[in-house]
Amino acid sequence: MTVIAFSDVDVLDMLVVAAVAVTAILAIAIPRRVGATIAFLVFGLLLALLWARVAAPDVAIAEAALGGGVAGALLVDALHRRQPAQPNRDRRRAVAITAVGAALGAVTFAALATVLSRLTAEPADLGPLALEAVERSGVSHPITAVLLNFRNLDTLLEIAVVVFAAVGAAALSRDRIRTVTDPGPVRRVIAVIIVPALVLLAAWLLVAGTSEPGGAFQAGAVLGAALIIAHLCGVRPARAAGGRALVLVVAGLLAFILLGGIGLAATGTWLALDLSWAFAAILAIETLLTVSIGVALAMLFLAAGSRDDAAAADRAADAPALGGAP
Amino acid sequence: MTTLQLFMYAGAFILVLGVAATLLVRDLIRRLIALNVASGGVMLLLLALADRGDGEPDPVPQALVLTGIVVMAAVTGIAIVLARRVEQLDDDLEEVEQ
Repeated sequence: MTVIAFSDVDVLDMLVVAAVAVTAILAIAIPRRVGATIAFLVFGLLLALLWARVAAPDVAIAEAALGGGVAGALLVDALHRRQPAQPNRDRRRAVAITAVGAALGAVTFAALATVLSRLTAEPADLGPLALEAVERSGVSHPITAVLLNFRNLDTLLEIAVVVFAAVGAAALSRDRIRTVTDPGPVRRVIAVIIVPALVLLAAWLLVAGTSEPGGAFQAGAVLGAALIIAHLCGVRPARAAGGRALVLVVAGLLAFILLGGIGLAATGTWLALDLSWAFAAILAIETLLTVSIGVALAMLFLAAGSRDDAAAADRAADAPALGGAP
Repeated sequence: MTTLQLFMYAGAFILVLGVAATLLVRDLIRRLIALNVASGGVMLLLLALADRGDGEPDPVPQALVLTGIVVMAAVTGIAIVLARRVEQLDDDLEEVEQ
C-alpha cells in the first residue's frame, strides 16, 4: 500500500485547495440562500486562482466574466425574493437521507479516485495532435483553433443551448420586464463611462482571441455584462428583450449552420474550413457568436429579474385598496 | 502525490459533493448552487488532466471547459426563471387556499 505523501505539493497550493473544498461544502450546506450564494461566489473566486495554476488563462477570463460576473449577478438578483418555507420533514428521515447520500457519495468518490490513481502521467495523444495541427487551422491560438475549427460542432451545439435557454426564459416572462425609468445622475455617468469601455474590451478580446487568450465566449460574456449594466442604468436602446434581441440571438446559430453548409459545399465535409479562408470565416463567426452570446445572457438576466418586481408592484397597488375595505 | 494529483482528487471530491447535494437539497436556488459547485469540480478535474506532461497544456479539455462555462451560465439563467415561476405558482396556490 502506498502512503500518500504531500511532500511534493506546495503549501500555498494545499491551502487554496483546502479553501476551495471548504467553500464548496459551505455552499451546499448553508440552509439560507444568502449564505449559500456568498459561499458559492467565494468558491468561484478561489477556483480562478487554481485556473492560473493549471495554465488555463482562457478559462480564468471566461470564469471571471461568466461564472463570477453574469451567473453571480443572476444568483444575487434572485436573493431579494423571499425563500419559501421548507415543509417540515421528519428529523429521522432527514438524517437517513443525508446518511444514504453521504454513503453513496463516498462510494462514487472511491470509484473516481481508483480511476484517477491509475492514470498515466503522460498526456493523451489528442493534445499534441491538436497543437501540431494549429498551423493548419487559420488561427494561431490553440484553444480558438479547437473551438472554432477542430471541434466546432461542439461550439455549434453550445450556441444552440444558449439560444434555447434565452428563448425559453423570454417566453416564460415575456410581458413583465421591469424598466428603469429614472436612473439618477450617478448611474447615468456610470453608463457613459463603463459601457463603452466594456464594449471596447469585448471587441479586443474577440480579435485578440485568434492569437492569444480570449475569443468569442469571453467577449460575449463581457458584452452581456455591458448590456446588463446599460439596462440597469436606464439606457433604453440596450434593452435585450423582444423580437429584435431574439433576431440577434438566433442569427449566430443560423450563421453557424450556414457556415457548416458552406464547408460541405467547398470541402466536402460538414463544418470543415479551408485554410485559404479559415481565418476570415472564424473571425466572422466569432463576431456573430459574441453578439449572440452577449444578447442571450442579457435576455436571461432580464427575464430572471422580471416577474417578481412586477408582482410586488401589483401587490403594493392592491394593498391600499384591501386595507381600506372593512 | 503531485500538485496535479491533488487538484484531480479535489475536483473529484467537489464533483461528488455537488452531485449529491443537487439530488438531495429541496430548495430550488440551493439546488442550482449545488449544480454549479459540481460543474466547478468537473472543470478542476478536466483542467488538471489537460496540464499533465511537460510543455503546453492540452487545448482540447480546456476548450471543453470553456464550452461548459457558457452552457452552465445559460442553464443557471433558465433554471432561475423556472424556479421563480414555480415559487410564484406555489404562492398563488397558498393565497387561493387561504
